[in-house]
Amino acid sequence: MVYWRIIRKSYRRNLQYRLSHVINNVASSIFGLVFIAIWTGVLSGKQVYGPYDVKTMGYYIAICQSVLWMTTFISPGLNVQIAVRSGAVSLDMIKPVHYLWYMLSQEFGRLLYNACYRSVPIGLLLGLVVGFFFPSDPFTYFSFILSLLLGTYVGMLLFYLTGISSFWTTEIRWVHLILLSLIFGLGGQMIPIDLMPGMIGKVAPYLPFSAMIYYPVMTLLELAPPYAMLVQAGWALVLTAVALLVTNMARRKLEIQGG
Amino acid sequence: MFALYRKLIAASIRSQMQYKINFVTSAATTGMIMVLDFIILSAILYRFHDVVGWNIYEVGMLYGISSASVSLYRLFAPEINDFEKYIVQGELDQLLIRPVSPLLLLLTRNLDLSRVGGLVQGVSVLVISLSGLAVEGKSIMGLVLFSPVAILSGGVIYFSIGLATAGVAFWTHQMKDMLTFTIYAPANASNYPIGLYPNWLKWLFFSAIPIAYMNYLPMLTLLGKGGEWFYPLLTPIAAAVAFYFARMLWNVGIRHYHSTGS
Repeated sequence: MVYWRIIRKSYRRNLQYRLSHVINNVASSIFGLVFIAIWTGVLSGKQVYGPYDVKTMGYYIAICQSVLWMTTFISPGLNVQIAVRSGAVSLDMIKPVHYLWYMLSQEFGRLLYNACYRSVPIGLLLGLVVGFFFPSDPFTYFSFILSLLLGTYVGMLLFYLTGISSFWTTEIRWVHLILLSLIFGLGGQMIPIDLMPGMIGKVAPYLPFSAMIYYPVMTLLELAPPYAMLVQAGWALVLTAVALLVTNMARRKLEIQGG
Repeated sequence: MFALYRKLIAASIRSQMQYKINFVTSAATTGMIMVLDFIILSAILYRFHDVVGWNIYEVGMLYGISSASVSLYRLFAPEINDFEKYIVQGELDQLLIRPVSPLLLLLTRNLDLSRVGGLVQGVSVLVISLSGLAVEGKSIMGLVLFSPVAILSGGVIYFSIGLATAGVAFWTHQMKDMLTFTIYAPANASNYPIGLYPNWLKWLFFSAIPIAYMNYLPMLTLLGKGGEWFYPLLTPIAAAVAFYFARMLWNVGIRHYHSTGS
């Protein structure tokens, strides 16, 4: 299939950086170590309500740092804005593949590479610090992978929408930064979102950002609520519809400009 | 040299102020993003009250100083942080042929005014924390007087780390990945008490990446957490020492530089 070929090609293109990335993983892991240390400091010697004791929080942070490289550290705007600025987008759009799926396949190849050369080494490194968590139920592994893929898909669509907004604006830098901080703030990367106070804690579980980080991690830890995957799938559907619609609008806009 | 710096920087600001709306929106967004960051920290401490005995206002002192310091560095030295392109694309050649020191040229080429937002956020967190401490009945006179010293010293420390990283880039020809290790991760770590971290990290933050002197060490004394009386004095000294070594490394690097020829 043509999309699978695009994915494989993009995966291979990234391989040339693998050495520098493997080294960089050590630096990235420091973020994880810092978060783990903070939670250890916060939780030690305290009465803990719910499932979050020091050990579980350690797993949570370690898995988060590893999951981030698939669902969150996606190319800004999927690089759509670069093609828009250079005009290359008009060539991409007349390709015999749908523009949306073309861009998503390319990015997915890169994220598969990330999974092998970023997520796995970081997970192993942090696992050496906090210990490894192996769910006993084999079904958990299956639902984790499904949840992770859904999270990756939702993430790619959000980044795609950021990128394609460049058809109407000149800069996506600020939209991208706002999106990133929403993901980091409300996605559960530093704190499980059910621990957030007040309204934020009530609303955050139903936003697309939790689909990217919180639910995949909680699914692996066997702590996810039963509706977790429904929220993820719901956002996947809604965002697909929006992305298709916006892609069509962008295509029409391109025709008006004459490419 | 200072007069020259002032002249060049004024030109840089003038050119950027042609886009006032851009400045206002970018500074506001930067500030907002950083506020969200602080809200998460508050959410944790709201729930669990303290982290190894530091309450929200005390952590806020660490956070505010670190946040303002790193913004100060990013405001004045964006070209140092982005130095990789000068080496990889050979842009440094243009600077070397001018009669002014390349470092001065780099520092006056560009100001990242959007970082003003981060500076405002850091200072706001400090003000909130100081008033919180005052309500708790702590004496905050020393803290108020020391905060500007800490922010300035912290800015110099971050700048020195950035400069040293750029200096190393003369050999490694890459710096972006390294900044995660030398600036971004330490900046994140310095928002919290350094005492939390494993020993090797603690050691690192007191030596090669000396961010502990910027806020953690003086705050031990000023917040009455068992620091020695002279700890606050170490803050500007550490900044001066860091700057001295970074400058040296940078100079060695410049002498070592061979153009890529592009």
